[in-house]
Amino acid sequence: MRVSRDSLFSSEDDNSLYFTYSGNPNVLEVKELSYQVNLAAQIPWYEKLAELKMPWEWNKGPGSHMLAIENLNVKVSSGQMLAVIGSSGGGKTSLLDILTCKDEGGKIKTGQISINGKLNTPQLVKKCVAHVRQDDRLLPNLTVRETLSFVAKLRLPRTFSEKQREKRVEDVIAELRLRQCANTRVGNVYLRGVSGGERRRVSIGVQLLWNPGILILDEPTSGLDSFTAHNLVTTLSRLARGNRLVVLSIHQPRSDIFQLFDLVLLLSSGTTIYSGAACDMVQYFTSIGYPCPRYSNPADFYVDLTSIDRRSRELEEGCLEKTRTLSARFWDKVKDSSDFLWKSGEGNNVLTTSSEPSPLVTSEKAINVDSHSREEMPRGLQQFCILLRRQVSNDFRDLATLLIHGFEALFMSLLIGFLYYGQGGNKLSIQDTISLLFMKSSIPPFGVVLDVVAKCHSERAMLYHELEDGMYSVTPYFFAKVLGELPEHVSFTILYGVPIYWLADLNPAPENFLLNFLLVWMVVYCSRAMALWVSACLPTLHMSSFFCNALFTIFYLTGGFVISLKNLWAVPYGFSFISFLKYGFEGLMQVQFKGLTYFMTVGNLTIAIPGQLIVEQLEVDSTPLFACYLILMGISAGFLLLYFLSLKFIKQKSSQDW
Amino acid sequence: MKAIDEGRAAGDLVMASTSGALGSEEGTRSSIGARGISYTVSERVGPWWDIPSYHKKWTRQILKDVSFYMESGQLMGILGNSGSGKTTLLDAISGRIGNKGTFLGDVYLNGHKLKKDQFQDSFSYVLQNDTLLSYLTVEETLTYTGLLSLQNRSGNTIKKKVDSVMAELSLTHVAKNVIGGRVVNGISSGERRRVSIAAQLLQDPKVILLDEPTTGLDSMTANHIVRLLSDIARNDRIVIISIHQPRSELFTIFDKIAIMSCGELIFCGGHQEMIDFFSSCHYECPEHSNPFDFFVDLTSVDTRSPEREIETYNRVQTLASAYRNTALYQKTLEDIEYAKSTKEKLPVALKNKDAPNAFSKLVMLLRRTTRNLSRNRIGIMMRLSQNLIYGLFVVFFLLKLNNDVLTGAVQDRIGVFYLCLGGTPYTGMLNAAALFPALRAIGDQESKDGLYHTWQMFIAYVVHVFPFSLISVALFSAFLYWIIGLVADIARFGIFSVILLALHLIGEFFTLVVLAVVDNPNIVNAGVTLINISGILVGAGILRSLQEMPQVFQLLSYITYQKYACELLVINEFYDVKFACGAPNSTGPSCLFSDGNEFIEKTYPGANSRFTMDFLMLFAFIPAVIILGIISFKIRDLVAKR
Repeated sequence: MRVSRDSLFSSEDDNSLYFTYSGNPNVLEVKELSYQVNLAAQIPWYEKLAELKMPWEWNKGPGSHMLAIENLNVKVSSGQMLAVIGSSGGGKTSLLDILTCKDEGGKIKTGQISINGKLNTPQLVKKCVAHVRQDDRLLPNLTVRETLSFVAKLRLPRTFSEKQREKRVEDVIAELRLRQCANTRVGNVYLRGVSGGERRRVSIGVQLLWNPGILILDEPTSGLDSFTAHNLVTTLSRLARGNRLVVLSIHQPRSDIFQLFDLVLLLSSGTTIYSGAACDMVQYFTSIGYPCPRYSNPADFYVDLTSIDRRSRELEEGCLEKTRTLSARFWDKVKDSSDFLWKSGEGNNVLTTSSEPSPLVTSEKAINVDSHSREEMPRGLQQFCILLRRQVSNDFRDLATLLIHGFEALFMSLLIGFLYYGQGGNKLSIQDTISLLFMKSSIPPFGVVLDVVAKCHSERAMLYHELEDGMYSVTPYFFAKVLGELPEHVSFTILYGVPIYWLADLNPAPENFLLNFLLVWMVVYCSRAMALWVSACLPTLHMSSFFCNALFTIFYLTGGFVISLKNLWAVPYGFSFISFLKYGFEGLMQVQFKGLTYFMTVGNLTIAIPGQLIVEQLEVDSTPLFACYLILMGISAGFLLLYFLSLKFIKQKSSQDW
Repeated sequence: MKAIDEGRAAGDLVMASTSGALGSEEGTRSSIGARGISYTVSERVGPWWDIPSYHKKWTRQILKDVSFYMESGQLMGILGNSGSGKTTLLDAISGRIGNKGTFLGDVYLNGHKLKKDQFQDSFSYVLQNDTLLSYLTVEETLTYTGLLSLQNRSGNTIKKKVDSVMAELSLTHVAKNVIGGRVVNGISSGERRRVSIAAQLLQDPKVILLDEPTTGLDSMTANHIVRLLSDIARNDRIVIISIHQPRSELFTIFDKIAIMSCGELIFCGGHQEMIDFFSSCHYECPEHSNPFDFFVDLTSVDTRSPEREIETYNRVQTLASAYRNTALYQKTLEDIEYAKSTKEKLPVALKNKDAPNAFSKLVMLLRRTTRNLSRNRIGIMMRLSQNLIYGLFVVFFLLKLNNDVLTGAVQDRIGVFYLCLGGTPYTGMLNAAALFPALRAIGDQESKDGLYHTWQMFIAYVVHVFPFSLISVALFSAFLYWIIGLVADIARFGIFSVILLALHLIGEFFTLVVLAVVDNPNIVNAGVTLINISGILVGAGILRSLQEMPQVFQLLSYITYQKYACELLVINEFYDVKFACGAPNSTGPSCLFSDGNEFIEKTYPGANSRFTMDFLMLFAFIPAVIILGIISFKIRDLVAKR
C-alpha cells in the first residue's frame, strides 16, 4: 500500500465550484520591471526619533537606496495560480506592492505592469484586483456570516437585492468551506473565535465577495499548521480553476503545497532565478547542474541555494555572485520566448492547458454582474447606516469590555458618592461641595480617554485597509463612529452621574439635577471627542495616550479649581478659554448654588451665606449658564471637526507598538 | 548543493565518532534514560459560570508511556505537530511541570534513578524566547550569568570559562557588541539565540534541553544553530531539542529522531532506521519531499472532521504499536536496564550548583541592573527628567505664588500640593511600568534555572532606583520650590524635598508590587492610577475634609500614604506663616485663614503635634511596600511553580 501525498491530506470530497468568476478573462503582465526602494524612508519618523536621530540624519546611511527588483518579466492569465517564492529580502513584498499600486516609498526605474493590456493605475487596481493582506484585520465580535454580510452590503452594487446579497454570502461561505463555523465569532488574539486558518479564509472571503478577477495574497500560509495551510492552498487553486487569476507570495512552501502551484517565480535579491511551471522546476535546475537530492523538498532546496548568507561580507559577496550567474543563465534560456517562462522540451504540456480559460461548469450558479451597474456602489447615507449597524453589533457583543467599563464607572461613582455622603443629615460644607463639583466632572475623563485611545488604535489597521480598498469613504465612517459611541457614553454617564448626585445630596430640585447631569455628560463627551481626535492624529498608541494625557492635564490645571484663574499669566489663561473643565465647573457651581442658602459656623456664630454670594465671590459666574452649555457644545464640535480632518488627511497606517 | 554535502559530512562524522566511542570506552559514557513517562492533568470541563459542568473534571493525558535512551555525544530531535506534547516532554524531564498533574515514570541519569527534585538541577533548559538584557554586551551577559551561577571563583576562572564558551558557540567576534532589542540595534537573532545557549553551557551541563531553538530564525541561521548543537553534543554532552518543521538538510544531522503525536512516541531512532521503519509499515517517503514533513504529517491527527479524526487516529495507533514491536524499541528498554545494572556507574552529574551566597548574588544583580540601565540613554533621560518636565509644566501655569489670601494664596498652595501628591508617584509608576517588565521576564527565567529568586531581583531593582530618584526629585523640588516661591527657608525646603522623595519612591515601589501579580503593564498603569486617585480622594483631606467623612473612610484614610504626606506638606508650608488679606486691617469671612496656624487647625485639627509621627508613618510606608513586594514576588514564584 503506497500512500501518496493526496491521500494524506484529502479531506474534502466536495470539490465542486460554488462561486466562479464570470467576467472577462484577465491577463497580468509585468515587463522588464526594475524597482528601487528607499529603505530609510520606510522607517516611520517616530522610530527614528526614538533612536535619537536628528532629522537631517534620516535619509543617510549605507544601502538606503537599493534595487529591490531587477528586470522582471512575468505573464499570468486567468485560471492560473502564480506563487512567488524566495527567501526574505528577495523582493517578494516589493513585487506585490507594485502589483497592488501601494506606495511604499520606492520608485519604478524601468518597465511597466499592465492588466489586460492597460497600464495598472490605482483606479484600475481598485476595480479588479483584490489584495489579501498578511494580517487578518476583522472585527472580533462579529460572526463569520455577519462579517461577510456587512461587507456584502458595502461592497456590492446597489442593484443587488437583499436576496441576491444573501445568496452571494452563502456562495462565498460554501466556496471557502466555512459552513461549519459560519455562526461562530471571528475572534482575535485575546478572544476565542474561529481557528487561524478559518480566519484567514474569512479575510479571503471579504475580498472574494465582490467577485474580483485577480486575487493577490501576501504570505497566506504563514502561521498556519500543515493541514490548514494545505487546505488553504487547495482552496486557492480551486479559486484559480474557477477562472480567477491568483498570485501569492510564500516564504518557503512545504513540498505538499509546492505541488499544488501552477506557476512558480523564484526570486533572489530581486533577480529572477526561475519562472515557469512548478512541476518543471526540478527538471530545469537538474539541466543546469543542480539536481535536487532524493529526500529533500525542491522548494526548500532551491530557495536555500539562492538565499544570501549575510553572516560575513565575503559570504555575502559569494552568494550574490552565485545568484547573478544563475539569473543570467535563466535569462539566456528564456529571453527569446514570448512569455518568459521556462518550458521543458518542446513546451507542450501543463502551461498551455492551464492558460486556456477553464470551462464554466457552474455558470448558472454564478451571479452575472452587469458591467455598467458595477460602478453604482452604495452611497454615503447607506454606507453610514451599514457601518453604524456593524459597529453597534460589534460593540454590544463584547460583554467583557462593557462590564469592565460599567464597573469602572460604578466604582468611581460609589467611591466619590460615599466619600461625600452626609453623615447624620449634616449638609456638605461649602468647601466640600465645591471640591465635589469639580471632582465629579474631572475624574471620569482619566479613564474615558485611555479607553477611547486604545479602542481607536485597535481599529486603525482595519480602517486603513478598508479605506484603501475603497469600501467606504471617510464621511460615513466618521458619522457612524461618532453616533455609534453615543449609547455607551450615555449609559456610562448615567451609571456614573446619578448615584453621586443622590448620595452626596446635591441640590434637590429636579430641574437642577437634569442641568447638572447634562453638564457632566457634556464635559465627559468633550474629553471623548478630544481622545478621538488625538488618536486619529498621532501614529502610535503610546504617543496618543501621552499627548492626550498632557492635553487633559492642561485643561485640568486651567479648570479654575486647582489654581485660581486670577493668578494665571497670559498663556495658560488663554488655555482656560478652551478648557472644557472650566466651563463644566462654572456651570455646575451655578446650578448648585443659585437659589440655595448655606450656613457657616464660626465659633458660636452662624452666618447665613446666600449661594449667589458664593458664586460671585469665587467668580464662577463670568459665563452665564446657557453660554456654558453652548460653549461646551462648541468645544466638542471643534474636537469632532479636528477628528474628521485628521481622518481625512492623515493616513491611518497602524503600527501598534514600538 | 554544497550545503547538503556539508550537512551529510557533518552527520557522518558524528556517526563515526559515536560508533568509535561505543567500541572503546564502553561504560564510562554518561547516559540518560527515560522509561514509561506519563503525564496527566485534570481540568474542569466548563467555564466558571456554568456551575454543574465546572464541578466536573476530566483527565487529559498529555504524555503516554514515553521511553527513550541516549548516550553522550548524541543529538536528538523531537518532532511533532503543535499539541503533540513535545514541549511538555521537555518540561517534564527538566522538572518544570510543577504539581498540576500526575507524573509517572522514571528518569535515569548514568543509570541512577533521579528523584523528582533533582530534575531541575540535572538538566539545562533553553527556552524558546530569548530573554536577555538589551544593553549588556555578549561578554558581560555571560560573565554576569557566570558570576551568579558559579561559586565564588576568581574573576580569572570565570573569564576563561566565558571565553571558551564564546569560542564554542562562535560568538567571539561579537563579544563586545550589545545584545540590542526593539529600540537599539544589536546582534542578530541567531546570535541572540546562541547567547541564550551559551548562558546555559556556562554551568557545564551534561544534558542540555532546548525548546524550539530554531523558531523565528531564517533557514540558513536555523541550520547553522542545529549544526552547532550537534558539535556541542560531540563534546561529550547529550543534546535534546524539540523542533517544528525542520529542513530536509538536517535529516542526517540528528543521531536520533523522535516523532511524537498525541503524547505518544511514535518512533525514536536514527534516520536510516526511520526510513526503514516506515517502509516496513508501507509508508514510503515520496521523492522530492521533506521526510520530516512527510512523517510528521503521517503521524498527525487531523481534527477537521470526525471521520478524518478517527481515520488518522487509527493510523497513528497502528504505527505506535508497530514501533513497540520493533527490535529498536526492545533495545531501548534493554539499554536502560543495562545502564541501571552496570557496576561502575558515573556519578549523577549535576549542573554546577555551588552557587554563591544570597548577599553576593544580590550585589551581582545590582551591578548587572545598573550596568544595563547605564547604557540605556532613553531610560536614564526618562528617569532623570520626567519629574523635572512635570515641574516645568506646573511652573508654566503658576509662575509665582502670591501672598494675599484674597487672591488665592491658600487655594494655589493647596493646588501645588495636590499636584505634587498626584504627580510624583505617577512619574514613579511610569518608570516602573516602562523599565521593570524586561527585568521581570529575565528574573522569571533565571529563577527557574535556579540562579536566584525573583524577589532578589526585585530588591536589586529597588536599590538601584534610589540614587536616580534622589537626583530626579532633588532637581524637581529645587526647581519648583524656589521658582514658585514657597516659604524661603532652607530647612523647610529640605523637608519638602524629602517628602516628595518618599512619594516618588512609594509610587514606584507600589507599582512593582502590582507588577509582580499582574503581567500586563497597561492594566497595571490604569489600575495604579485609579488606586492613587482614590488614595488622594480619601486620604489627602484637601478635597473632602477628613472630620466630616463617613467613619469607614476616616479609618481607611489611615492606610493611605497621601494622608501623612499631605499633612506634612501643609504644616511645612503654613506653620507660623501669616498671609496678607487684601488691604491691611480688613476683615471678612475669607480672612479667617490669613493665619497659617489657624488654617492648619481648621483642616487638620491637632496636626502640629503629629508632625514627627506623620513623618515616621510616611517613611514607614517605604519598607512596608518593599516587604509587600517581597511577599508578592514570593507569591509569583509559588504560582509559577504550581
